Amino acid sequence: MSEPSKDGPPTPLSSSQPSQKSMTKAERRELQERQRAAKAAQKQQQGQGQGQASSSASSRSKAQGAPQKKSESGRPRASSSAAPTSSRDVGGAARDGSGGIDSEGPKTRGLRIFSHFGLPKTSGHQVKGDIHPAIIRLGLQFSEFKICGANARCIAMLTAFKTVIQDYTTPAHNTLSRHLMTYLSPQISHLVAARPMSVTMGNAIRQLKLEISGSDIDLPEQDAKDALCHIIDNYIRDRIIIADEVIEDLAVKKIKDGDVVMTYARSSLVEKILIRAHALNKRFSVIVLDSRPLLEGKTLLRTLTSTTPPISCTYALLPALPSLIKEVSVVLVGAHSLHTNGSVYSRAGTAMVAMLAKEHSVPVMVCCETYKFSESIMLDAFGKNELAPLKFSPPEAPKPHSNLEVLDPLYDSTPPTCITAVVTEVGLIPPTSISSIPLALGKTSL
Amino acid sequence: MASDPQMLANQRIVEDLASRLRRRQVVGSRQAALETLLVLRQVVSRARFSNVDQLVDVIRSVGRRLVDAQPKGRAHSFLYEYADFNHGSFITGTSEHSVGNTVRKVLHHIREEYHTATEGSTPAPAPTFSIAKFVSQGQPRKQQTVQKNDAAKVPLKENDPDDPDSFARTLKPVLMEAIQDVFDELETVYDNISKNAKDHIHSDEIILTLGKSKTVESFLKAAAHHRNYTVIVAETAPSFVFSSFHDHGLTRHFTRYGGREMAKSLSSAGISTFLVPDSSIYALMSRVNKVILGAHAILANGGMFATSGALLAATAARAYSTPVVVCAGQFKLTPLWNLYHEYGALDFGDPSSVLGFEEGDLVDKVDVVNPYYDYVQPELLDAFITNYGDHPPSSIYRLLKETYDDEDNEL
Repeated sequence: MSEPSKDGPPTPLSSSQPSQKSMTKAERRELQERQRAAKAAQKQQQGQGQGQASSSASSRSKAQGAPQKKSESGRPRASSSAAPTSSRDVGGAARDGSGGIDSEGPKTRGLRIFSHFGLPKTSGHQVKGDIHPAIIRLGLQFSEFKICGANARCIAMLTAFKTVIQDYTTPAHNTLSRHLMTYLSPQISHLVAARPMSVTMGNAIRQLKLEISGSDIDLPEQDAKDALCHIIDNYIRDRIIIADEVIEDLAVKKIKDGDVVMTYARSSLVEKILIRAHALNKRFSVIVLDSRPLLEGKTLLRTLTSTTPPISCTYALLPALPSLIKEVSVVLVGAHSLHTNGSVYSRAGTAMVAMLAKEHSVPVMVCCETYKFSESIMLDAFGKNELAPLKFSPPEAPKPHSNLEVLDPLYDSTPPTCITAVVTEVGLIPPTSISSIPLALGKTSL
Repeated sequence: MASDPQMLANQRIVEDLASRLRRRQVVGSRQAALETLLVLRQVVSRARFSNVDQLVDVIRSVGRRLVDAQPKGRAHSFLYEYADFNHGSFITGTSEHSVGNTVRKVLHHIREEYHTATEGSTPAPAPTFSIAKFVSQGQPRKQQTVQKNDAAKVPLKENDPDDPDSFARTLKPVLMEAIQDVFDELETVYDNISKNAKDHIHSDEIILTLGKSKTVESFLKAAAHHRNYTVIVAETAPSFVFSSFHDHGLTRHFTRYGGREMAKSLSSAGISTFLVPDSSIYALMSRVNKVILGAHAILANGGMFATSGALLAATAARAYSTPVVVCAGQFKLTPLWNLYHEYGALDFGDPSSVLGFEEGDLVDKVDVVNPYYDYVQPELLDAFITNYGDHPPSSIYRLLKETYDDEDNEL
C-alpha cells in the first residue's frame, strides 16, 4: 500500500507489506497496533453483518452488503460487485464508511455499493489522546475545508509537524529515532480523522518516517530535531515550491498569443501558470469551468481578474463545456495524484473535461509535481473517493431521507488515454511514464 | 377576408400565443404543443375556405407566425456578451420545436383526411410501409378507419361557385376530429411512452438520468411499479425548471437545478434515488447500467437537442459502453438538421444563475455562458422510446417521413 498510515489495517489482499525483519521497532509496533485495530474492526463488522442478515431487511441490502463483508474477512470476493483494483481500497475505505454509519446511528445509506465512500465528516470530532494543539487546529482547518488542495494540505501538515517536532521531548530510556514516530502516529491519525489523507501527505509522511528512523542516535536531541525540521523545509522547497516554478516555466511555453486556455475548478499550480503567462505579456483568454459541490472556479476567477490588466475570462458551469470546447486551444488542469497506470486522480469533473477535449483534439495538459505520484493503480474513481461535507450542499437542495441520498463525490479519475501530457518538474511526459521517473518513486531524495 | 371579424379573432389568439412563447411563458415541449393545438383548433373552426389549399395556407401562416415569434439565440438579450460565440449559420434557432411540429402534424392529418374524403374508399396511404405502425402493432392508434367511412359518404365539392362554404362545411367535422386525435395523443403521450418501461429497466439496475424531464419522470415511475431499481440523478446546473406555472401564466416558480426537483419527485414515489452534482457523472458511470435521457427535440438525423449536460453524460456513457436511451414523445420529432454542431440550439439562459450578482465584482469582468441545450449526435444514442414504439436513431428519418409531409418541412 502506498500510504501505510492511511489505509489502516492491512487487508489480507495487500501483499506489499515489508517483511517484519526489515522494519524498525517503531514500525513493527505500529503494525501490531494496526493489526489489533483491524481485528477489532473485523469483529465489529462481522457482528454488524450478522445482525443485518438476521434482521434481513430486504434481499437487496443483504446482497450488496455481502461483498463488503467478504473483503473484510478476506474470503474470496464476489466477482460481480466490484472491479478488481478497487477491491484493495474498498477494504480500507469501507471500514471508514461503516465506522461513519456506526457513529451516525442506524441510518441506512441507501445502496450498499456507495457505502464505502464514507460519510462526510462532521467538524467537531473528538480529540483522542495526546494531540498537539497545532494538529488540532490543522484538523479543524482540514475538516472545514479552510485548507484545501493537495499542495496546501501537504505544506500545512509539514509546517505543523515542524512545530510538533520542536515541542517534542524524547522520554527517558528511549531514542528520538525510535520514539518520535510513535508520537507522530496519533497526530497523523487525528488529521486523517478530520479528512481522509491526500496522496501528497502520505508521500511526505513516508519520507519523514524514513528520515526519522535514519537519524543518528548519538546526535543531541535539539540537533536531531533541527536536522529534521531542515529536512522538512527542504522537502517543501524542493518537491513543491521549486518544482512549481519549473513547471510554470515549462507550461508557460505552451501558451501562445491568441490561445484560449480552458481550466476546470481551481488548481493552485494552474493559477500560478496563468498569472505567469500573463506577466510575460502573452495575450490569451481563459475559460474557467466549474461545478458544484465546491465551486472553486470562482476563487480562480477572482485571482485572474484582479491582475492588471485583467485576464479576459469566461466562466461557465460544467454542462456548458460542449458549447465551449470548440474555442479552446489547450486544457490545463491540476491533479490530486498520479497513479502507476497513468490515470490522474483529480477534482470531480476533470475527467469529463479531458474526455471531451480529447474528442475535439484539444491537448490536455495535467500540471502535477512528481511528489504527487502514488504507487498504485487506479481504474476508476469508484473504489476510492471522498464525499464533500454537508455544508457544501446549498440550502435549497433536497434533504436526504429514506429514499433519497445526496452524494457529492470530490474526485474522479481521468484515464491516461485522455491526457496528452503531464507537466512535471522533470519535463513534459506522457502520463504512463511517470513510474519510470526515479525521483517520483522517492528513490532519491533531492 | 382579413376584415372578417372571425379572422381578427384568429389573429388575436395567434398573437397571444406568439407573445407568450416569446416571453418564455410557455415552457416545455408538450405544453407548447398543446397550446399550439388549441390555437389551431380555433383557427380551423373559424377559417373560411373553399378548397384544401386555402386551408393549408391559413394554417401554414399561423405556424410561421408562431415559429418566428420564438426567442432566437441571436436576438437573445440575456447573455452579457456572446459576440465571440456567434459564427456559423444555424438552421435551428427556435426554442420550442414542438410548435412547428404540431403544425406540421395537423397539416399532415388534414391532407390525409382530405385524400380519404375525396378518394372515397381508398385506404390510408400504404400502411404496410410504416415502421411506426409495424413496431406499435396492437397499440390502439386512433380509430382512423372507422371515421373514414363516415367521411366518405358525403361527396365533396371544391371551389363550388354557388356555395363556397360547402367544402368547408363538409370537411370541418372530420378535420376537428383529426385535430382531436392529435390532442388525445398529446394527452396520453406519457402513458404510452411509459407503457413498456418495465421491459427497459431490469431489477437492481442503476439508472442515470439528468435534470428534470416529465417524460423520463413518468417512465421511471412506471417502471418502479414492476422493478426495484436505483436512480442516480445529476442535478444539471443551472437548468431551469418551471414548475407550477399553470395558474395565471405569470406565477412561475423555477429552480436552478432541475435534477433536485426530479430527485424529490422520484424518491417520493418510492424509488431509491441518489442526487449527485454534474461533476461526478464520469466517476459514477462505471456502475451505471443505463443512461435514460429526455429530449428537447429529435432531429432528422437521429440526433437530438437535450438539456445541457446531456452530451457530457452521453459521451461518458460511451466511454464505459453504457447504453443511452432517450424517452420522448413523437411530437418532438423535428424535420431539421443540425449540420453545424456548434452550440446546441443557440439558445442561452440567464447568466445570473451561473454567476449571481452577489459576486458583483466579478460580473462585469467576466463573460458568462449558459446554454440551454446540447446537441447530442446520433452515434452517442442507442434507442428512442416514443409513444409510437422504440426506434434506433437510424430509423428516425423514416418516422419523420411518415409523420409529416415533405412540403411542410419549411413552414
